[in-house]
Amino acid sequence: MSALLEVEGLRVSFETARGVVRAVDGVDFQVAEHEVLGLVGESGSGKTMASMAVLGLVPRPGRITGGTIRFEGRDLPTLPAKAWRALRGRRMAMVFQNPAHSLNPLLTVGTQLGEIVRYHERLSRGAARERVVDMLRLVGLPDPAPRMLQYPHEMSGGMKQRVCIARALLCQPALVLADEPTTALDVTIQAQILDLMAELKQRLRTSTLLVTHDMGVVARLADRITVLYAGRVCETADSRMIFRAPLHPYTTALLESVPRVDRVATPGALPVIAGRLPDPAHPPRGCRFHPRCPEAMADCVAHTPALTEVAPAHWVACLRRGSAAC
Amino acid sequence: MKAFWRHLRRSRAGLLGVVLVSVVVLVAVCCPVIAPYDPNDQSAMMDVGANHAPTGAHPLGTDRLGYDVFSRIVYGAPTALAVGLGVMAIATSVGLLVGGVAGYAGGWTDELLMRLTEFFMVLPVFLVVLAVVRLFSILVVGSWLESVPHLNLLMVILLLGAFGWPPIARLVRGEFLRLRQAEFVEAARCIGATGADIVLRHILPNIVPSLAVAVALGIGGAVLAEAMISFLGFGDPGSPSWGQLLFFNYEVLKIAPWSSLAPAGAIFVTVLGFNLLADGLADALDPRRGK
Amino acid sequence: MSGALRYLLRRLIFAFALVVGVSAIVFFLINAVGNPIAMLVAGQPSATEDQIAQLTAYYHLDEPVGARYFAWLVRLLHFDLGTSIFYNQPVWEMLRVWGGETLKIQVPSILLALLLAVVVAPVAARRQNSALDAGVIGGALLGQAMPVFLTGILLILVFAYWLGWAPSYGAYSLRAPLLGSPVLDGLWHMALPVAMLTAFNAASFTLLLRASMVQALRQDYVVAGRASGLPEWRLVWGHALRNAFSPVLTYLGIAFGLMLASAPVTETVFTWPGLGALYINAIQQLDYPVIMGVSVAVAVMLVLATLLTDIAYVVLDPRVRLR
Repeated sequence: MSALLEVEGLRVSFETARGVVRAVDGVDFQVAEHEVLGLVGESGSGKTMASMAVLGLVPRPGRITGGTIRFEGRDLPTLPAKAWRALRGRRMAMVFQNPAHSLNPLLTVGTQLGEIVRYHERLSRGAARERVVDMLRLVGLPDPAPRMLQYPHEMSGGMKQRVCIARALLCQPALVLADEPTTALDVTIQAQILDLMAELKQRLRTSTLLVTHDMGVVARLADRITVLYAGRVCETADSRMIFRAPLHPYTTALLESVPRVDRVATPGALPVIAGRLPDPAHPPRGCRFHPRCPEAMADCVAHTPALTEVAPAHWVACLRRGSAAC
Repeated sequence: MKAFWRHLRRSRAGLLGVVLVSVVVLVAVCCPVIAPYDPNDQSAMMDVGANHAPTGAHPLGTDRLGYDVFSRIVYGAPTALAVGLGVMAIATSVGLLVGGVAGYAGGWTDELLMRLTEFFMVLPVFLVVLAVVRLFSILVVGSWLESVPHLNLLMVILLLGAFGWPPIARLVRGEFLRLRQAEFVEAARCIGATGADIVLRHILPNIVPSLAVAVALGIGGAVLAEAMISFLGFGDPGSPSWGQLLFFNYEVLKIAPWSSLAPAGAIFVTVLGFNLLADGLADALDPRRGK
Repeated sequence: MSGALRYLLRRLIFAFALVVGVSAIVFFLINAVGNPIAMLVAGQPSATEDQIAQLTAYYHLDEPVGARYFAWLVRLLHFDLGTSIFYNQPVWEMLRVWGGETLKIQVPSILLALLLAVVVAPVAARRQNSALDAGVIGGALLGQAMPVFLTGILLILVFAYWLGWAPSYGAYSLRAPLLGSPVLDGLWHMALPVAMLTAFNAASFTLLLRASMVQALRQDYVVAGRASGLPEWRLVWGHALRNAFSPVLTYLGIAFGLMLASAPVTETVFTWPGLGALYINAIQQLDYPVIMGVSVAVAVMLVLATLLTDIAYVVLDPRVRLR
């Protein structure tokens, strides 16, 4: 079964004064139908750029400089503008990080969302209104009808994010891209939104590309996880495998550095990953993680590990774990 | 400070402004040397006559009264600069005082002074100035003041300055308010510096850059205002200002456009120069200010 | 809405204070200059004793300045602005006619300038730093810096004298109206003054709007709109423009004030029979009822302009309504 979204060898680069910055440097991932893929990594790992690339919204001066992106069998980067307008918001949609900024403050919620559904489906005002109200109810907004006339600043952060989720689901897209959907929210609201997303996952079974740095979020929602570091994929596997038996040293370190209630607190500091993120304009040779890896060896500098299936449906890019060199 | 000069040099608008202003200043200073004729020399009447097109001897032609246009333009430069500098001297003094008191004292004084400033900014100043200039010229008829040379021009300068202080006051007040809370002022106070000391040695030097921008803009505005006042006929017939030249020659625009274009162009270049200079200074102050 | 009402009320009080303030300043200045009787007599050398006595009584000239001002203010509230000494017409009528002429060139120019800015600025902002953008900025800076008389003189020289496309003075043809139609004739005469004012205003508006649009286009909701599939023109003119418009709105009041303040010059350049020309005339002739009348008219127009922009502001931005 071919995946809904197939990304192969994606490269996104920026030309800056300091040189070419390769934000995404050869990334592969797939999202199957009805599946939630978690794209995990620190800031600077390239995860946001990868998702923007899928939607064709890489901000200037960045460009897609290599690789393929196939959605429903079509190659995306070569699509003409008209085809993009039919695709965005309709077959695939995005939920942004900051709900306060991603809604137009001068228009009512009903107007903004209605505009989208009327543009895509040519509905009458009345029918569009119905659709928006239904969608707002679906995302758990209490009293949706009067809310249509409200402005974003009259709503709380949690309500705004619900509206943004509703906006993404308006035309029943096949794929939703969510970029850090809970990061800008209060912790208690985060839990509510996660509950909502879990519920929607159950009911709608929409495929989702969930981009986040928060392991807690992927633990709750993701079926499979792809871990990114410095623009490259480290590991891809079923969510349970990642948490139970991670293979890549980076993944392990990442999991260790998350404070967990069920672990006995070690006296002393919270474990951190030593070292710093590499300069994106001048990445290290060979494996990008080697300067910070506790298991690094001489080969890791000389050869770049390729993403290899070392166990059933478990892919890793680490020479120590049996990856091929490229 | 060094960064300031570096940024100023990099701003193209600012550089152009500096060049233009320098040209005007140079012409003003060297006017007797540059001008081929005395501004009041009407000998051309016997020669090529009035309203004559530009020739070799008269590069910008002659005007309605037989004067050499080029010479009158050249001699207009010092007048313009005198107006600009004079007006801004008055406006800056008053503005510093009002703004400084308002910003430093705060509270009711601040409120009151700010309402006053706002009022003066909304007022159609130009119209009021015209009325006062006219009324003043009636007032002095028959009195000792009549014999003061260039009285009308002095009056214009005084009035423009008296009405030109609000933008300066607002700026100064803003800076005073901002700097009053600044850490280095607190530190100075801790050492035991007095109020006057703090103002003079700490606050004022920090105001100078933004003040310079406002002053440059103000000079341009003052030159323009005086030109407009003279153009409407309320200027000083005795002083060779560009506005005055325009006023004399506007009625012969159709047959002698050069005698109107020249002063209009001179005004334009001068005002543009000061505006660009202000722009360049503002950019130098805050290089993040992209266009 | 009470917050908005209170705000509006405050603005009205300020407006009233402004009108009173302006009129007071002009009034006291005139009276400070000298004995108004002397001025009136100077304006009408053939005045008889009787006429002088009449005028004195009417204008309360034998009372102290404060009382005179108060009397004038009271008459103002009854819309009685007196009679022009020079023209011998009721001032109120003159303000209507001459004021109408001034508004005839100023209002269309503001509207045209807004239209121009709304069309050009978003395009320039979208293509920031392109050749088009640089051209727009350069042109706008130039237009802003050119003094009124230079633009006016150039327009007259090129379009009236050289090309002969438009008249160079007056609001109406003295003899036959253009093509027999007074309306067309009026419009034809309006062409150059309106063109000049439009150019100047459009320059300022475009610069402001462009800078504001550049910021607005970078906002998340524009990217979100694009991600929802909305076409570019809708994002630019529907979403970004609406958010970018407020600095221009704030500036509208100032722009109108600048135009009014420089009306005397504009109207002298084009020999246009408007309020500015009337004011100059009145000052020259010491026609003091007209001087007072024009001052009040200008103050009122300024106030109305700022009030209108305030209202427009509230309509544009729902966040303001809460205050």
